[in-house]
Amino acid sequence: MPALTPPPAPGPATGLADLSALRATVFGTMPQDRAPLPELVPLMEMDVDLPWKRPLPDVLWFDKRLRVWFSAQKHPAPLAIVISGTGSDGNTSKLSTLRAALYGAGYHVLTMPSPTNPGFIASASSTGVAGDLLQDGADLYAAMQVIIAHLPAKVRVTDIDILGYSLGGANAAVVKSLDADQQKLHIHRALMINPPVSLFASVGGLDKLYAITLGNGDEGVERFYQKLYVQLANLYRASDRSELDEDFLLGAAATVLRTQEEFSTAIALTFRLALVNLFFAGDLYAGTGVVVDPRHPPKVGDSLAETARILRGKPFSEYFTRVFAPYYLQRRPNSTEASLIAQNRLDVIGDALRNNPDYYVQTNSDDLILDTSELAWLKDTLGTRIKVYDHGGHLGNLGDKEQIPDMLDMLGGRWPGSAP
Amino acid sequence: MRNRSSLILLLVALTGCASQATVQTHYWPPETPAADNAADLEKAMAMSSVSAADQGKDAKSAGQAPTVEAPRLTLADAPSIETYDPWGRFNRGVYRFNTRFDEAIFLPVANGYRRLPLPVRTGVHNFFANLREIPSVINYTLQGRLGRGANSLGRLVINSTVGIGGLFDVAKHLNMIRAPTGFGTTLAKWGMHPGAYLVIPILGPSTLREGVGYAADYGAAYGINVANLYRGAQSWGLGTLNAVDVRANTSFRYYSSGSPFEYETIRFLYVRKLLIEDAGLHKQVAPVAQTADDPAGK
Repeated sequence: MPALTPPPAPGPATGLADLSALRATVFGTMPQDRAPLPELVPLMEMDVDLPWKRPLPDVLWFDKRLRVWFSAQKHPAPLAIVISGTGSDGNTSKLSTLRAALYGAGYHVLTMPSPTNPGFIASASSTGVAGDLLQDGADLYAAMQVIIAHLPAKVRVTDIDILGYSLGGANAAVVKSLDADQQKLHIHRALMINPPVSLFASVGGLDKLYAITLGNGDEGVERFYQKLYVQLANLYRASDRSELDEDFLLGAAATVLRTQEEFSTAIALTFRLALVNLFFAGDLYAGTGVVVDPRHPPKVGDSLAETARILRGKPFSEYFTRVFAPYYLQRRPNSTEASLIAQNRLDVIGDALRNNPDYYVQTNSDDLILDTSELAWLKDTLGTRIKVYDHGGHLGNLGDKEQIPDMLDMLGGRWPGSAP
Repeated sequence: MRNRSSLILLLVALTGCASQATVQTHYWPPETPAADNAADLEKAMAMSSVSAADQGKDAKSAGQAPTVEAPRLTLADAPSIETYDPWGRFNRGVYRFNTRFDEAIFLPVANGYRRLPLPVRTGVHNFFANLREIPSVINYTLQGRLGRGANSLGRLVINSTVGIGGLFDVAKHLNMIRAPTGFGTTLAKWGMHPGAYLVIPILGPSTLREGVGYAADYGAAYGINVANLYRGAQSWGLGTLNAVDVRANTSFRYYSSGSPFEYETIRFLYVRKLLIEDAGLHKQVAPVAQTADDPAGK
């Protein structure tokens, strides 16, 4: 599938990147660099039953309702909607950081899962086949309308802004552009934090990273597991602990992950495990039969260990050719694999990004998921409305003393060149 | 007795049905980001000072004659990536029951409990932790780890007296750190493998050996029956409060991942954690090598 492997461009996206970028990506913002956050943030869980979801398969019985999280101000306030990154749910630690910062700045905050999260796919996707920027954006937008209509009666929303990190950033921008046409929510500003530019190129880069570090298939995972197990066991034996707890793991991670290759392996594997869920759900809903027999789908109580093992060895390109493309080509006459890939670039909303002063970007010059040409495109398109930090890799500076105040300035219309 | 049974039946029935409204809302205790950041910072500082001390130790010991150390594990010692789970179908059923029970009853109750003032909850937590010292003393003795046994016994005595029946962890401030152990660990020390994976109703992930361990520890506590806490009418209330305290101090949420592979993931992580802790118990002797064909936990 030549279209998925664009001509090699200089820059990370994504071979073995710079060590400090990798380290930041894995460990995130160090405690001493974090922006101050409020003492208390109220938290409400909302489990939403959406009428357009596909029939719920047996094995996803626990994903019946879309689970989102809301923090309400006591007085009328703007609402910030925050969307998670690839595969993640609506209450990750990154979302928690953003929620706290936004709540502290006076926003009501709604945090939502990524449309590629299995919970979202089962409870809110109209197709079950996730990963298409426009379709996922439409599903998100529809879900937001239901959620906002069901906020507690005393909540008064004065304005709506939207943001997201990683893939969630791209999702947020697409939702704003859909809203510009449909005018259902009147979303004001949109902020993308470390977004991809070409979804499939970024994902292809992560597949490449997996192939470099873990090889093809599942054997590399087993080798990596053995190495990690032995390292952890030896560290544990050398310690005086009577329990392997979170503190031990936190300390051990700094010893176990040191080299570019070790960091890259951890990143590639983390991404692959998110993909396993997406692939499984897509195959199940589309009935494409790659790992799920459409006539005999797995039932509650069936072991999924073998399915998981097979899926760990499968790259995104296989999801694209065997599930995604067959499903969407059938439903979108006149489209081709190349056009599906093209529709999953941020340039589908390029005009809006260039001409509408309400779109913003925060990214890093060493972000692993962008190559040099993609970063240049972002800079050229957003002009003064992009902030590129020197370091941080992919999301490794989220929550720090620079990123948070800039984010609040962008959303609050205080960024140089902001429109009212 | 009949009242109790019907209460249990009602609870089980409750787990099966939920409101059909478009949106169900649940209020959670507020998050405390500022305090969490401060705690992380403190932890990071402590960790960096520990690792600096370790480096100093390395440098010092490099100049001295090498000390006898436990043999390091090699790749051949890593257990299989597969987990021994012959009762998988039963376990998955229990996992599902636990999920429903947790969502409908256990978690809402624990969240309600978390709204009580912190000093109250800390007192309750310390009280039950203090009771846990009794099986710890017994098991450390059975394991032949008398120093740790003495630590647990010292904690039990100090906290039961100066700590007013265990409500305050005074011993902690005397550098006697809580380190509970149980009969499962004793069996491990005696050389028993974890055995088949086992999901226990309400308690959650375990293995055959650990399940036997729980039962034995409870049996011992029941037999000793300190202050008649384990028998009679009050034992139900205390047992429930103990369970709620444990749940309120456990951040895990069933299926927050949304992933259909969560059962496999939890099983994998739980058994690897147990196996590494087992390896920590056998520092003095060479570990038994396992072949890659041998599923972990067998």
